[in-house]
Parts: sequence; C-alpha cells; structure tokens
Amino acid sequence: MKANVRRLSYMVLGAFVILCLYIGYVIVFMGPTLATDPHNRRLAAYEASIHRGTIFDRRGEILAVSKEGRRVYPLGEDAAHVIGFVSQRYGRTGLEAAYDRYLLAMNGNDKIKMNINRLLGRPLLGNNVIVSLDSRLQQLAMQLLGDRKGAVAVLDPRNGEILALVSKPSYDPNIIEQPAGRSSGGKVVTVYDLLQNDKEAPLLNRATQGAYPPGSTFKLITAAGALTTDPGVSRRIFNCQGSLIIDGFRLTDTAAHGRVDFFQALAVSCNSTFARLGLEMGAERFYQTARAFGLTLNPWTDVLNEVAYRPGTLTHPEKMNKPQLGSSAIGQGEVLVNPLQMALVAAAIANEGVIMHPHLLIRVQDPEGRVILQSSPRPWLTAIKPEVARIIKEAMVEAVNSGTGKEAIIPGITVAGKTGSAQNPRGKTHAWFVGFAPAEKPRVAVAVIVENGGAGGIVAAPIAREIMRAVLTPASGME
Amino acid sequence: MTLSAASRLRAVERKLLYWVSAYLLIGAGTLYLWKPLLPALVVLAGALIAMIGFWILHLFWCRFNFAADPFLLPLVAFFSSTSLIFLYRLNPAYAERQFVWLMTGLFALWVVTRYFLHYRLLAEYKYIYALAGIIGLLLPIFFGIEQGGAKSWLDLGFFQVQPSEFVKILLVLFLAAFLAENRLALAEGTQRIWGITLPAPQEWGPMLIMWGISLLLLIFQKDLGAALIYFTTFLAMVYASTARVAYVCLGGALFLAGAAAAYFLFEHVRLRIGIWLDPWQQAEAAGYQVVQSLFALTAGGITGTGLGAGMPQFIPAVHTDFIFAAIAEELGLAGSLGLIMIYMLFVYRGFLIALAAKDDFACLLAAGFTALMGLQTFIIIAGVIKLLPLTGITLPFLSYGGSSLVANFIILGFLLNISHEVQITSGRS
Repeated sequence: MKANVRRLSYMVLGAFVILCLYIGYVIVFMGPTLATDPHNRRLAAYEASIHRGTIFDRRGEILAVSKEGRRVYPLGEDAAHVIGFVSQRYGRTGLEAAYDRYLLAMNGNDKIKMNINRLLGRPLLGNNVIVSLDSRLQQLAMQLLGDRKGAVAVLDPRNGEILALVSKPSYDPNIIEQPAGRSSGGKVVTVYDLLQNDKEAPLLNRATQGAYPPGSTFKLITAAGALTTDPGVSRRIFNCQGSLIIDGFRLTDTAAHGRVDFFQALAVSCNSTFARLGLEMGAERFYQTARAFGLTLNPWTDVLNEVAYRPGTLTHPEKMNKPQLGSSAIGQGEVLVNPLQMALVAAAIANEGVIMHPHLLIRVQDPEGRVILQSSPRPWLTAIKPEVARIIKEAMVEAVNSGTGKEAIIPGITVAGKTGSAQNPRGKTHAWFVGFAPAEKPRVAVAVIVENGGAGGIVAAPIAREIMRAVLTPASGME
Repeated sequence: MTLSAASRLRAVERKLLYWVSAYLLIGAGTLYLWKPLLPALVVLAGALIAMIGFWILHLFWCRFNFAADPFLLPLVAFFSSTSLIFLYRLNPAYAERQFVWLMTGLFALWVVTRYFLHYRLLAEYKYIYALAGIIGLLLPIFFGIEQGGAKSWLDLGFFQVQPSEFVKILLVLFLAAFLAENRLALAEGTQRIWGITLPAPQEWGPMLIMWGISLLLLIFQKDLGAALIYFTTFLAMVYASTARVAYVCLGGALFLAGAAAAYFLFEHVRLRIGIWLDPWQQAEAAGYQVVQSLFALTAGGITGTGLGAGMPQFIPAVHTDFIFAAIAEELGLAGSLGLIMIYMLFVYRGFLIALAAKDDFACLLAAGFTALMGLQTFIIIAGVIKLLPLTGITLPFLSYGGSSLVANFIILGFLLNISHEVQITSGRS
C-alpha cells in the first residue's frame, strides 16, 4: 500500500508542477495582451490616480491642462487638431496621445519616483511638456483662414520646430463628450458623434493628413530635379507658346509667356517650361527628386509619433507615361501632398537643401521644473545641393517681387515664395502658397492652402505674408 | 530517546517560526506604513497576537514532548500570516474576523493535539461519521442560506457555518477506517463474475452509498467545489488502498457521466463550463470574475506590483476564492510560484507522514487528509487561472472563511498526531 501512496503523492505534486507551468505561461505570454485589453480597468484607474501634466507652447502659454478632473484646452478650436484630446469614451489623439507617457509619468525612471510618492501618500503628478507651437500664430492663422476650408503649416527651417499647424474646419475639444441631441432611435448623440459623421470632416487634420494636388508649388521640385541634372538650366532660355502637346495630350498655360529664362519661368509659373523640364529629366529622376524632398516618406516612423501623417503619393516611375510625367511636373495629375510636406519643401530650399527633422517636442519637465528630456535639432533628409537651393531661392524671390506672388511682399523683408492654383474635381482651384523669409537668412517657412479658394497668388499669398510678418516683426511680439 | 527526539524536532520548529514571525511582522509593518492611520495600529497588534498564538502552541508542545513533524506548524503559520496580511490589505474588516477564526483554529489544533493523541480509537465509530456527515450535509438544504450561488451555509446568529467543510474530515475518517478494514477484499475481490474478480457487495456497498449520498447532497446545495473535492479525495483514497486502476477508471467514468448529466440538468453548471471555455464573450457579465482574475494575475508580471500597489479590488469575492489572484498581482510570478512551492512542501510532508505510518488506518488517514488539502489547493488555483472551470472553494489557510480555516486546523492536528505516534513508537522499538 505504501507504494500506492507514493505514486499518489507523485500525482498530486505533479499536478502542482502543471499549475506552476501554466501560471508562468499566463503571466509571461498572455500578460502583455491582457494589460491593454479594453475590459482591463487598471490602466484607466492608474491614469485617474495621476494628475495629468500640462502642455505649454513655446512662450509658456497653456495649451492643455487638467482642472478639477477635466481636461481644458484654452485655445479651443484654434489648435484642436494638433493638440488632440483625451476622452474616456473616444480615446486620445494628437499630442495628447503622443505624449501620454510623459504626461502620465510612465517612463522607466518616473515609475520608481511615482511608486515612492504613492508609498508616501504624496499627490501623483505627471510631467509637463513644452512644445514648439506658438499659440498666437495658431490663432492668427485660424483668423486668416476665416470661414474657408484649408490648412496652414509653419516651421523654422533652421531646426525643424513646427510653429503652427492649423486645419479648417475645426471643432472645440472641450465639448466633444457633451450631448448634442438625440438620434431618430432616441439615443443620445454627442458632439463627437456629429463631428464623426460630418461630411466636411472637421476631425481630419488637413495640415498633415490632407491629400491635395500641389499645383504649381510642385514646380519647385521639378526645378530642383532639372538643376541637379544640369546646372546649366538656370542659363537657358525657354520659348512658351501657351501650350505643349505631349503624345497627343494638350497641356495649356494661362498665357503665352514667349521667351523666358529659368527665373522668369518660375516667377510667372510657366506650365509648358516645367512640363518640358520634367520630360527632359525623365520619370525616374523626377521620382527620385520628389523622394529626396521626403514626398513619400513619414518623418515620424522611427520616433515619437507626434502627428498623424499622410505621406504624399506619386505614381511609380515605371508606371508613369509621358503625359502623366508632364502634368505631374506641374503638380497636377497623380501627385498628392499634405501642407506640412510643402512647408518642408520650402524649408529645404531655405536651409541650403537640408530638411531638419520636423518636430513639436521641445522639452519635458518634471513638476519641480527639472528638465527630463530635451529635444535637439537633427537633419532628416538632404534634398538638394546648396548651389541648387540658392538658384531656386533666387527664382522664388523673383516670383514674389515681380511674379505671381506679389501679394506676399513684406516691406523691408525679402520674401521667397511660390504660388499654386491646383485644379481639382471639386470646383474652383485650390489656392496654394509656399515660401520662406527672410530670403538671406530664413527663419520661417510656411505653406498655406485654401480649398477651392481660386488663385494662389491672390488668396493664399496674403495669409502667408501675414504669418511670416508676425513671426519676423518684433513689433508683433513674435520670436 | 523520545525526549531528545521531541526536543530536537521542536528546536527545528522554533528556528522556522523565527523566520515566519519576521515575515509576518515585516508584512504588518508594510501595511502600517501603507496606511499610517491610527486604526492601522490594529494590524500590528493583530499580527503580534497571532504570532504569539503560534508560539504558545509551540511552547506547549515543547512542554509535553510532542514529537510531531516540525515543518507543518511553521508552514501553516506562513499561510496564516499571508492570509492576515492580504485580507487586511483587501479589506480590514475581513482580516479582523479572520483573526478571530485563526485564534479559534489554533485552539482547535491545541484540543486535537491534546485530547485526540490516540486518534486510532476513532476508527471504531466509522458509521457514526457516515450518519453525522449525511446529517451535516442535509441541514443546509432545509435550513441553510445561500451565499455566492451555493446553499451550503447554516446561520448560527453571530456567525455562519459551512458544514461541508467539517464533513470532509468525517469523510476522510470514514473512508480511512472502512478501507483499512476492507482493502484486501476490495483489492483482491472475493467473487468471480464473468471472469472478473469482484468484491462482495457488503464490502463496497456502504462506502459507495455514503459517497453517492454526499455527492447528491452537494449537488442539491449547488456546491460544485465541495463535490469535486469529495470526489477526487475519494478516488485518491480508493487508489491508495487498492492500487486497482480499474476503480479509478470506473470512478473517472462515473465522474464524466455525472458531469455530463449535471451539464444538461443544471443551468449553473452549463454557465460555469461556458465561462471556462470562453470568458471573453461575456467579459462584462458572467465571465467578469474570471476575466478580472486573469487581469490581476498578469498585472504584476514577474516581481509583482508590491504589497498594496495593485488593484485586485476589481475582482468580485477576491478575499475568498480569488485571493490567489490578488497575491499574484502584488507578489508577481515569483511570489505566486513561491506560494505554490510552500503548498507543495506541505503536501510533501503530509505524504511522508503517511509513508512512515505504522498501520493501514494511520497511513490512509494521513494520505487522505494530505490528498484532500493538496487537491483543494490545486482545484481552486486551477480555477482562478482558468486551467479548470471555476468552482467556489477556499484556498486552504489563505482564503477568508471560518469553517474552512478551523476544519483545516483540525486536519493539521490529525497529521501531527500521526507523525507523533510514528516518532514515539520508532523511538521505543
């Protein structure tokens, strides 16, 4: 009988071994999935126990703050898209989502500090984040857009700091959870529900997620490709007869510009000249130039995902026929971009061909003001050679001073710019302006689009002018 | 000889008790710092008094040259300490009541080691146990109150008693006595039917009837957990005494048939199985408890969140059936594996006592009690981690529950008495 008891004891102890193995499996392998399960209330409870940090702009203005259990956004709809929101019901977006681990102090070192504070019964405070946005610029851009749909992207070409990202139509992030009425079924409908079903797409951040034809602003890239292939292009004379026929496809100009040099061609935005330059360099070179400017790339894939970014699209060179290449060279056809992308194109030309990594985070501070994290400027891409950048800059200055961009002139400051009036299936052309100033030592690069606004030189250029003026003129208190 | 043996054993026990005392006082101190309010002094006082209880028992045994196993008391003191710490952390009200039950349990242990040293006499009254057991299980069906879906409690005014916790002692006593008497007949068989040797009906009849009745009663009480423990303990003891795999297979078949019948007959059984197969489908309804248990289990990772830093309060009934999930959350994989290993040590010592026992009754009694404790631990932890369907039973010595705690201390007393007898008889021979 003793033998039986021994065997029985092996069985019982064996059952415990199975138990141990299974617990190990559950904790080690199922753990990560279970931690983020929507039914798990731990994360929400942990967040609720922490006073979420504040987001400040570059001059110390509050952009998002927790007050009496609510998250308050003083700028309201003026910065809704870029800052985003936190909501128990609708999740988190924008910088609120990107900086979650700073605002809740969930990084490795913070965790230890938080546990000590928890043990000592101290209040648990998240870290504060200082971003490169300028709330006054943000508000100004919103005012300038007015009731029109569109977007504005402003950045500092020297270091990639984003100064403003504006998208219209917007919404007020302070009230998204509030009831706005009832559906036909009697269910309460919130403001957010209405926003989500709005055909105008107010939740979309047009500045980084828009997909617009760039129109003539894309001639900057065509020019860059042509000059890189042959620097002699800048001394060539072109003959514009008002249209160009490519394999039976007719590409028209706004006027017959006659004999123009390279600088005049850019200043008056001559379609046939740039279509020809595009055809001369070929699809492969054209595509590679666009890529060098980051057209199909997302600057936020390898680091902190600060903004939801939709990279531009361009037909692959092997699938691009000649008429397509000709119209892509003037920013029509298959090419689509977002406004921040175009601001980065301007920044590349302003910064001698180097695109600094665009970013919003300046630094993270703990509640006592100690700096935990400091961002440092770093190059993202080298789009073109400095001499090519200088030639294009010269042409852009001419475009503002004597070409299509005269509305962007600021007395006393040399402005470089390029207008665009992009044809699109939805009616009037999209009005574009991209540029930077001062041309000699650029401190601000900007891209403006007004959807179906008409001519870029008339509608978009004044907006860009006012924004650049605000950044550069000490009287306005900016910079 | 016995004198020195006893004092040697008690010296081992004393050394281990020092460690457990330190463990409890550190735990209580942590809780005191965690909630440094005036009533928190209660936790220090409670821990101190509980530890003094264990020490008094130890000194009493020293005085009377009790030569029992020196490991079991420190192991149980460890469980009780963990229980008090975690119950206080989860809900101080439960810890205070558990403290009272712990004192009762220690008293019961003293009574058993003082007055039931000659436990062998108990073998004479096996049919009385059977009868008492059946009555004990019948009472709640007529007079009982329902808690957590099971109608297995009797309301006695100040407190409630769960008779099935005590009946499990009677079950093991009865089975040990009966099997010790009839095991040869059962093992060999006295009759041949169709070429198979079978025991005569009088040799297995009473046992099967007792077991069948107890199982039926438990089903009517809807106490699936207790039914499962009774059943598995029964199989373990039959296997230990007869070594006939056929009985185990027969038992297994009976179990499957019974489980299938219960599945089709009872809604609550269907529900339990459904939750076990897929708790996520009804994660906010019937599966809530198991789902929350899994969240707690994994929240602590390898090293745990630390005592008091987890959020086990999301689990309903975390202080009884699900205390293991709370411990895993705050002490992590390391802590929960450590706890399981301490249970394995308890089971290991229990089986060693059975193997050293002088006769069949003592051996079966020790093996039965040990198997009972081990299986109960396995079944509830397996339920909490969703390895098996969940059945509402206590984790021995850890979960909140007075009847369970006192009954387990009585079982501990019997194991100690058996080991004491082994020591003094081997000393004489």
